[in-house]
Amino acid sequence: MRELLRHPPGIAGAVLLALVAVAVLLGPWLAPYDPQAFHPAARLQGPSAAYWLGTDQFGRDLFSRLMHGARATILFGLGATLIGVAAGALIGVTAGVTGGWVDSLIMRILDGLLAVPDLLFALLIVTVLGGGVQQAMLAVAVAFTPGMARIARAAVLSIRTREYVLAAIARGESAAWIIGREVLPNAVGPIIVEATIRVAFAIMIGATLGFLGLGAQPPSTEWGLMVAEARQFMFRNPFVVAVPGVAIAIAAMGFNLFGDALRDILDPRRRR
Amino acid sequence: MIDFAITRRGVVLGLAAASTLPRVALGQGTPRRGGTLKISHTTRIATLNVLQLSGPAEYPAVDMIYSGLTRMGADLRPMPDLAESWEGANEARSFTFRLRPGVTFHDGAPCEAEDVVATFKGILDPATASPARSVLSMIADVVAVDPLTVRFDLNISYADFPTSVGHANARIVPRAAWTRPIEELNTQPNGTGPFRVETYDSARLLRLVRNENYFIAGQPYLDAVEMYLFPDLAAEASNFLSGAVDVMLEVQQAEFARIAAAPGVSALRVPSGRFINVVMRQDQPPFDDVRVRKALAMAVDRQLLVDIVLEGLGRPAYDNPIAPEYRYQIETPEIPYDPAAARALLSEAGHPDGLKITLVASNRPAIRGQVAIAIKEMARAAGFEIEVESMPHDTYLSNVWMKGNFYMGYWGMQPTEDGAFTLLFTSDAAFQDTEWKNAEFDALVARGRSTLDEAERAQLYGQAQELILRDTPYLIPFFQDVLTAYREGVVGWGVHPLSRTFYVEQVWLDRA
Repeated sequence: MRELLRHPPGIAGAVLLALVAVAVLLGPWLAPYDPQAFHPAARLQGPSAAYWLGTDQFGRDLFSRLMHGARATILFGLGATLIGVAAGALIGVTAGVTGGWVDSLIMRILDGLLAVPDLLFALLIVTVLGGGVQQAMLAVAVAFTPGMARIARAAVLSIRTREYVLAAIARGESAAWIIGREVLPNAVGPIIVEATIRVAFAIMIGATLGFLGLGAQPPSTEWGLMVAEARQFMFRNPFVVAVPGVAIAIAAMGFNLFGDALRDILDPRRRR
Repeated sequence: MIDFAITRRGVVLGLAAASTLPRVALGQGTPRRGGTLKISHTTRIATLNVLQLSGPAEYPAVDMIYSGLTRMGADLRPMPDLAESWEGANEARSFTFRLRPGVTFHDGAPCEAEDVVATFKGILDPATASPARSVLSMIADVVAVDPLTVRFDLNISYADFPTSVGHANARIVPRAAWTRPIEELNTQPNGTGPFRVETYDSARLLRLVRNENYFIAGQPYLDAVEMYLFPDLAAEASNFLSGAVDVMLEVQQAEFARIAAAPGVSALRVPSGRFINVVMRQDQPPFDDVRVRKALAMAVDRQLLVDIVLEGLGRPAYDNPIAPEYRYQIETPEIPYDPAAARALLSEAGHPDGLKITLVASNRPAIRGQVAIAIKEMARAAGFEIEVESMPHDTYLSNVWMKGNFYMGYWGMQPTEDGAFTLLFTSDAAFQDTEWKNAEFDALVARGRSTLDEAERAQLYGQAQELILRDTPYLIPFFQDVLTAYREGVVGWGVHPLSRTFYVEQVWLDRA
């Protein structure tokens, strides 16, 4: 933690993440209005004392919508990453520990999947599964799995030949014990770092799918969907697009900077 | 409005002069020849097969390429097109159309009675899958009396038949087209219209050039018309405002004020009878109880919907599908927004604790979802706890449309009352999706269609509307205007409330 404070981008990331965390945890209580309530007399207004960030095409308060939408947006990113990391780590560790033809087979398949960009992959999966939040989350998770598996495998391979692992093998420990007690704890660092950075991408892909109408559906307050719904009105009130857009940027940047800092700190070779 | 009562009968059974120009107030000055008109649109022209197409940008294209026997005028009366004149006989069970002499298709073949007969027989063949088929199903036989005379014999009396043959999909194709695979018409149209196709790329551009042999001498004025596809609405507006295109076929409500305010641009607002309807299926609870439907009707603030969803570019409607643009609209009482009364009625209908229900909307056009979300908010005060479920349009079409019990519909205006009633309301309607089946209503519509007397028809259609207002088969909150825009120097551009006829041959460019 102390190291984090000596790392300027890390501080910035932590501050941004703190803002996002407040919105996720306390959003509904901070919102001054019902996020779905219409105020027909105050449509498409800029920021004012009554509406801190302005209003959208139905006169709904943008600040309230932003606060309510934080949960859907951020939890989507975290959830998708978590599933993707769990699946990826499982596959990667299996490949790394087993080695041989199993490793080769898994990795060639993953290499093939890696050739498809994340967003395209997610789009493909959503097209097959149909739109909706759960489907979109699953799609992002599946799209993340090959990359995570690769990183998990690399970490495992670098540990597999360490002396303490060889010692455990020499002691005649079981494979499960070796993986659980010796390999995983030491491989988890790079996986966590990668996961933190991936959250940023997950949020952005989620927002993109929402924007394309394949993720959250109206009247949800998911941020990407907010941008999509407001796009028609951006010439009349730029805030309808800018507010959720900046919020997505803040969240994504927060996770990204924080993840970068975490990597620097956890990697002894990069330590100053 | 124009007084139809005097002229209607004359048009139905009498003669119509070939020289009558349908457009009122075509513009100023003497038309100037030459120039290229550039039109932008946002939906693909996926096909040019006039017998089958149904896309919003496909209608103007075939209106330029083809001609029908009649063509819908701005006042909803059939105007002469390929037919110079027509007359009905035998209590509107037989109609004879006299064709213009000397008309040729774009490939030079003459257009005669045989082509008309072949076209209508083809449309009536289910294999052609033409949307015009259900509209023309009353045709028992069509015969070529001589090369310039065609007679239709009908199963029933049908007073609006001259309007029916002017259907956008019932335009005349050459008889030779039926000897080849009909798919050839998708890309190689051959009509008698004012323009012929030069370039057709369904993903980008349709370029039409003047038909020098068009049957109205001197027209069209334009050398060419180019229709550009802009899948992105914002890009379309920017190109129009910068002057890269001359006409925006359809303007979005959200953009209308901004475009109307731009210099050198005229934005046009045409009142129309197209509407959003909330479908409430009546063969199952809760909407089998008319009180629930009436309660919902009172729980919607229609003027507010017009203001916030249509940006004021429409008119509130009160559940009558017949807009003032039709001929026989009856006075429709306003339904005030009264959540308290709605709640009381809902309670009386057996829902004292309110009603929880899911309303489905597709994402195309966007106003479907916007209206659904607005209704959810408005009706909450009346005890309706509505959950809005939005879904992609394709999913909606395959899973919900014509099947669900509570969803958002969207319909264009029909040319006649009969068209509107037989589209959605009669028991055998083409898109009957409410199960509101009323024998009395069916009988009134059947009698109205075969009645030639103006006053009697007005009375029959009035009674039919009374039944709709009594039972509220649909919630129809507003009529949406048709919006278009053109740049300075374009003279005579306009759209019709039905968005099926465009009269581009009368448009000219007043610029150096």
